[in-house]
Amino acid sequence: MNLLSIRHEVYFPVKKQNQRFFSRYTGSTDEAILGEVRPFEPLKVFFSCARERVAEDFQSEIPLSSHKPFAILGVKACDLKGFLIQDYVFKNDGLQDPFYIRNREQNLIIGTDCTCAIDTCFCLALGVQPHPRENFDLNVSPIPGGFIVEAGAAKGRALLQEHASLFHHATQVDLQAREDQRARVREAVEQNLKTHDIPPQDQFPGIIEQNWASTVWQDEAGACVECGACTNICPTCHCFLLYDQKDDQRVARLRVWDSCLLKDYARMAGGANPRRFLWMRLRNRFDKKFDFFPKVANVYACTGCGRCIAACPGKIDIRRILRRLVNRA
Amino acid sequence: MPEPNPYRPIKAEVLDVIPETPTIKTIRFRPDRPIAFRTGQFVELTIPGVGEAPFTPSSRPSVEDVLEVSVMRVGKVTERVHQLRTGDTIGIRGPFGNGYPLDQFKGKEVLVVGGGCGFAPLRSLMYSFFDLSGQLKKLYFRGGCRSPSEFLYRQEIESWTNRPDLQVELTVDKGDETWRGPVGVVTTILDSAKMDYANGIAVVCGPPIMMKFATLKILKMGFREENLYLSVERNMSCGIGKCGHCRLGIYYPCKDGPVFRYDTIRNAPEIWD
Repeated sequence: MNLLSIRHEVYFPVKKQNQRFFSRYTGSTDEAILGEVRPFEPLKVFFSCARERVAEDFQSEIPLSSHKPFAILGVKACDLKGFLIQDYVFKNDGLQDPFYIRNREQNLIIGTDCTCAIDTCFCLALGVQPHPRENFDLNVSPIPGGFIVEAGAAKGRALLQEHASLFHHATQVDLQAREDQRARVREAVEQNLKTHDIPPQDQFPGIIEQNWASTVWQDEAGACVECGACTNICPTCHCFLLYDQKDDQRVARLRVWDSCLLKDYARMAGGANPRRFLWMRLRNRFDKKFDFFPKVANVYACTGCGRCIAACPGKIDIRRILRRLVNRA
Repeated sequence: MPEPNPYRPIKAEVLDVIPETPTIKTIRFRPDRPIAFRTGQFVELTIPGVGEAPFTPSSRPSVEDVLEVSVMRVGKVTERVHQLRTGDTIGIRGPFGNGYPLDQFKGKEVLVVGGGCGFAPLRSLMYSFFDLSGQLKKLYFRGGCRSPSEFLYRQEIESWTNRPDLQVELTVDKGDETWRGPVGVVTTILDSAKMDYANGIAVVCGPPIMMKFATLKILKMGFREENLYLSVERNMSCGIGKCGHCRLGIYYPCKDGPVFRYDTIRNAPEIWD
């Protein structure tokens, strides 16, 4: 981490009580926990900021970032899948978002295998393995007595070559230890799928259209308090609100994360609101994830990270809703 | 050349503020650099420090240095737009989205149906048609408003009745002493356009309820779904399909619209809401 921090602002997961959080490296790695499961915050916090200034007066410059490029350690496979959605929206579909591009291009992503599963993990249902397979520069797999480090993108290979003296080739025994551990974690997630009766994604096509008029939306929305926690905590949710501010000298345009569950999200100035009832907005969240994104980007906008389940004060459970949608009930 | 920062507006100077109806004003402005737009595309207008809102220019697309938008006072930004004075500075982003595919209208009979505030984008479209001088087979305009006092561009649209290349009929929901035309909703005057509906083009722009009933009527008259063009009104904010607010089915009206062929959105949920 010391070596990384020369050119990067380094973040790594730490464990406090039962939760894992990203923490900035300032010389100490106490409480660092590379393996286990995804941290509390979704990876998007590093790339599309919760609140940022996107224009000032009428100046055209993209504000320079005030920090060194990020190096983020311990990124889990579910969060890496989030890149498929975030990249589609901000990088690949139509005009590019210069703020996202700036943050995304300069980063170093160091993934880590999950070394356990918690109750809310259901990545396998979404086709995600509990260890990184794509979208990383390096991946670190904890094994007894050390780590196996694997290069993904060119940036990662260059880094390995630069610090070749720190590494030796993994032995068959090392690789077998990694395989055994991966199999154990996969089994734990599979057990979750069984316990909670979570349908796999090959049963998802058509579930929104076929349940458009279902009462499942009213049923489930009854517990929603419109806090927006599920969208904030989601690694794929990308919606934002632009708003303008003025002080004595300057005007500024800011953007903050927005949530499609909030009442005024789709409301127009004249008062018309295509989704005036909460259940319509809950349905919209699922429509976006399980109908819009598979149609436009060929990917379900859910990674099975389970954060929204843990975050919801109304105990609205995406696993239960998916089960009801698949069973048409 | 796209603006490197798509969220930054360019400056524009307000040249004139024209009261049109008790609730609508037209703003003429000169942007810092010319804005080339296709009729039907929209811009985001910024009141510095207050916010921005989307409007489709009502002016001639061939005029790029001075643009006009007609704005109904309905919310926070439009309230401030109505307070603008000559010389004030506003911001403009855009143009965004797709305009009308004018080339596909050439050689065809075209029925343009407008209601209320929908006259604003349609005026720009009509100017484009006038500029095509004779390349349309025939042009019909049908307009409806709640009352004569709320009739946007009333004098100008009434003056179109003298044009040989255009046949105009107008109606109001409720007349007054200045009104000599028909009284009733716009759908009651559509089939007086004696044209070949099966091969004609229909363009509708107005409040959602009017668009819904005009669409039903137009399809009943025999127009084909792929020849019907609707303007979708949504909460459009970023203009580039990123912020999520305006989504309609698999489309973002800000990027893929706001003008849609009816057959492309007919199955989208919530289209009339």
